[in-house]
Amino acid sequence: MTDTKAKNESKKLVELATFYIGDALCGMDILKIQEINKIMQMTKVPQAPEYVLGILNLRGQIVTILDLGKKLGLGETDISQNPRNIIVNSAGGHVGLLVRRISDVVSADMEKKERAPANMNGIQGEYFTGVYKTDDNLIGILDVDKVLSIED
Amino acid sequence: MEIEDDEILQGFIEESLEHLADIENDLLTIEEAGEDIDEDLVNKVFRAAHSIKGGAGFMGLTAIQGLSHSTENVLGMIRSKKLIPTPEIVNVLLMASDQLQSMIEDVQNSNDVDISPHVTSLDAIADGTYTQPPEESEQEVPAEPVTDATPADTAEVVTEEEPQEAASEDTATAVVEAAASPTPATPEITAAPPEKPAPKASPSPTTKTAKPKSAPPTKPETSLRVHVSLLDSLMNLAGELVLSRNQLLQTIGSDDLRNAETVGQRIDLITSELQEAIMLTRMQPIGNVFNKFPRVVRDLAKKLHKTIDLTIVGKDVELDKTIIESINDPLTHLVRNSVDHGIEIPAERKKRGKPENGLVILKAYHEAGQVVIEISDDGKGLDGDALAASAVGKGLITTEQSQAMSDKEKINLIFLPGFSTAAEVTDVSGRGVGMDVVKTNLDQLGGNVEIISEKGNGTTISIKLPLTLAIIPCQIIETGGERYAIPQVNLEELLRIPASQVKKRVERVGDAEVVRLRGTLLPLIRLSDVIGAKRTYFDHREQDIKQDRREKISDRRGKESPLFDDDSSQGFNTAQADDRPRSVLDRRASVSSALNIVVVSNGSMKYGLIVDRLQDSEEIVIKPLGRHLQQCKGYAGATIMGDGRIALILDVSNLARMAHLTSIDGSDRAAEVAQAAEDAVNARKDKQSLLIFQNSRSEHFGVPLNQVERIEKIKRSDIEALGGKRVMKYRGGSLSLICVDDVAMVEPLAEDDNLLVIVFNISKRPVGLLAIGPIDALEVTADIDDTTLSQPGIMGSIIINDNTTMLVNVYEMVQNLFPQWFEEQEKFEQDELEDDGPAPTILIAEDSKFFRNQVKNYMTEVGYSVIEAEDGLEGWNKLEEYGDEITMLVTDIEMPNMNGFELTQRIRSDERYSKLPIIALTTLASAEDVAKGKAVGVDEYHIKLDKERLMVSVHDYIKRRF
Repeated sequence: MTDTKAKNESKKLVELATFYIGDALCGMDILKIQEINKIMQMTKVPQAPEYVLGILNLRGQIVTILDLGKKLGLGETDISQNPRNIIVNSAGGHVGLLVRRISDVVSADMEKKERAPANMNGIQGEYFTGVYKTDDNLIGILDVDKVLSIED
Repeated sequence: MEIEDDEILQGFIEESLEHLADIENDLLTIEEAGEDIDEDLVNKVFRAAHSIKGGAGFMGLTAIQGLSHSTENVLGMIRSKKLIPTPEIVNVLLMASDQLQSMIEDVQNSNDVDISPHVTSLDAIADGTYTQPPEESEQEVPAEPVTDATPADTAEVVTEEEPQEAASEDTATAVVEAAASPTPATPEITAAPPEKPAPKASPSPTTKTAKPKSAPPTKPETSLRVHVSLLDSLMNLAGELVLSRNQLLQTIGSDDLRNAETVGQRIDLITSELQEAIMLTRMQPIGNVFNKFPRVVRDLAKKLHKTIDLTIVGKDVELDKTIIESINDPLTHLVRNSVDHGIEIPAERKKRGKPENGLVILKAYHEAGQVVIEISDDGKGLDGDALAASAVGKGLITTEQSQAMSDKEKINLIFLPGFSTAAEVTDVSGRGVGMDVVKTNLDQLGGNVEIISEKGNGTTISIKLPLTLAIIPCQIIETGGERYAIPQVNLEELLRIPASQVKKRVERVGDAEVVRLRGTLLPLIRLSDVIGAKRTYFDHREQDIKQDRREKISDRRGKESPLFDDDSSQGFNTAQADDRPRSVLDRRASVSSALNIVVVSNGSMKYGLIVDRLQDSEEIVIKPLGRHLQQCKGYAGATIMGDGRIALILDVSNLARMAHLTSIDGSDRAAEVAQAAEDAVNARKDKQSLLIFQNSRSEHFGVPLNQVERIEKIKRSDIEALGGKRVMKYRGGSLSLICVDDVAMVEPLAEDDNLLVIVFNISKRPVGLLAIGPIDALEVTADIDDTTLSQPGIMGSIIINDNTTMLVNVYEMVQNLFPQWFEEQEKFEQDELEDDGPAPTILIAEDSKFFRNQVKNYMTEVGYSVIEAEDGLEGWNKLEEYGDEITMLVTDIEMPNMNGFELTQRIRSDERYSKLPIIALTTLASAEDVAKGKAVGVDEYHIKLDKERLMVSVHDYIKRRF
């Protein structure tokens, strides 16, 4: 009996890796992340969508890097400010998300997730599945599939 | 149903599918053999069915077990010779094996499949041998014609007949052959296993609807068979790689540079070997694809009531797995096309004097590092004009374009999107997949297709494919600081235009830049313009100049700059490279503004891609781009370079489209059409191949090339003067030598030591014409002037490259110099004519005055009368006018108003003249022309100015006539 209860509770708890896109603190389920690196040796792809920063060689695999700042409408992420690539595993292979800065890992109780506002620090609410409030921060939980989707 | 042990099941499925693949072909062989069965083969099939049965029983797959059991029974009877494998029986067996295959592919649901129709048929065959009397067979006869008469099968037809047939079968009591005959009627109707409803001993209400539709999508192969020895060698190589790694790690630790180099080499070696070995594992025999065609052809032929033999050559040719997989559909389409549209029905074949059995040949072989697959049939061939008419009708091309097209171009129209030849769409090949899809599919594989077709005699489609797709050689180039790879298959050549020549060689046509390359205009595209941010290009360029300068400075220090070496070896014009050091200014200009052009083509068009720098060519591994980059059409993928960075692979066709050379498709087409039109115009004029030579330095001479036997180089000292004649030793005999100036009033032979002897064969004797170089062979279309310079030995003149060239009449010269050679012949001619009383009249139709006069002279010389006509139409009118007086027609082919073919056709279709001998004259008798001429009714073909042969055949026909 107690066992199942504990199981239920742990099911609701999700480790969120948090990071900054522009000034917005965002998070995503850490289990969706394959790795975080700072390889910036990218090859530009002329003609690519604007938010595609380039492609890089990740141990023999070609990974497309998306600048999340641009993708979400917050302007270009400054490469000189030591940004990070979050490599996620998506349907069409690995994709890298360039973020301004990596922050903590937060254990979040998903039951306490709230609906995302229409807009959060300049990012359209549609990119979030919800927001999670910690003691001193509001974390926007990124809808990774939505971010990786190819619109128009 | 739940099947517990996945691995065993998987094993069963794989094994069974393999068995089934064999069964199919073996059954076909058995069918062919008929009564003299090959026991080993039957045994093999029997065992295969048996092991499927065994496996299925073990796995609890009752339906599969049941069906294979029945199959096995029938096979057992064939084996013990209690049953003769007629096509009908084999048909049932094949259907059963198809059903088995589809069940095994979808094992989980196999038990729900109704196998009773197959089982019943099989059991009927099995039982039939023992007891059944033959009466019933008659009852089935009416059923069959009905189905045959409606090849466009409808579901109703099937279901209506089914009960009757099934019933008759149930009660069937015929001898085997008779009992079996109803069953094939059904297979002929639908390719899918027929459902046989109610009136069965074991009714099966469940399955009526499910089967035909539920054919599961064929899964891509997930496992592969690899030869053990190959696996062993892979293992060895992997072992060596591990050892080398250890060595490398050790070396790195010890900081020993020289050793590191050795280890590096070793790893390099092992890697290439490993690569090769792994590529080998991917290679599969094309037989995997070919093997299914005997069945496809057999079934199709049956359905279409044709008899077709299929010959397969080169099953062992190996191709990459991916290619094998993707070639399947295009090939199937092509083979079906051959069977459906290519091969005629037996009655028609008989009428055309072909064997009743059509022949389809499927052939694979290696050629120049590629694999060629040929599908040829001896059917009716493609009708270029019908294709063109259809294309015009569909608005794909204009009437003018179609008129200017060559036959080959017309045939290639079949590849145009939106083109489908079949007047009626049959369910055999008209599956909504046109030849354009076939071409696109093959293009994607980096292959190309070519059609050779002769109307009435069949079609050959040949497909060229690369051996593998995974690793391709590429040219690496650099633009805007990034490297790009261009597949070597698209690469035509590399071109470097030095700054000093850029102005001269690059021209602007409207907005487009073009470069003159060996006489043709090549459109140019700046790579950076096409893919990069458009306007920043010039900024880029400035940056580049900086970079270039630096490189230039290094270059000034040492002549052996790698950049320069690179450029001049890949690019061209080494002379220019040599020029450079002379002027510093030039050099500066040249490096910053010299153009590096990669000339690329994708088969249908060619253009130049301007890039910043050319680098090495490398073998690269293609890696796909992520889905966010799918919209970038300019790239075929990416690859990782030696330094770990990525280079994009350019897609040459799409780049052209992006640069709005799209109209390239159109403009290219237009250019082709224009070219064809020009060719057509040229062809209308008489083309003459001439051998150009000189006698003295100032005069140019020509002789028709087709009269020349050989050309020999000799020294003046080789000539011997004997008995007032010049001769030389030639092939063990002596060759009489003549000079143009012996007969004609021209300047004497130059006093050169090195002479040429042009050998002719006149009156069956060789004769050598002395000449000096330079000699050249060329095709001229200019009009020949036969008055101005005409004199003995010279038949006329023509302007070639601004030189008036005199055409030598060798025949006349020899006649002048060695009259005795002709005595015999003339005598013969005289005899002929005397016998015949009034001189025969020959009609000459020829538009060129020169040739007309020549031919007329040949004729009148020996006493024939001649009527001249300037073109085909006039010829026809003259023929109408003089009627029977005319004994023979000598006609040119290319003439205005009505050409020789048309004239011949008209004459032949008029019965008054159907026996008139017709000799066609042509400048160059291509095999195609000859065939065409023969087809319309030309009796003989002769080359213009080949007097001897022409006259012999004229005499011959005249003689025959009287």
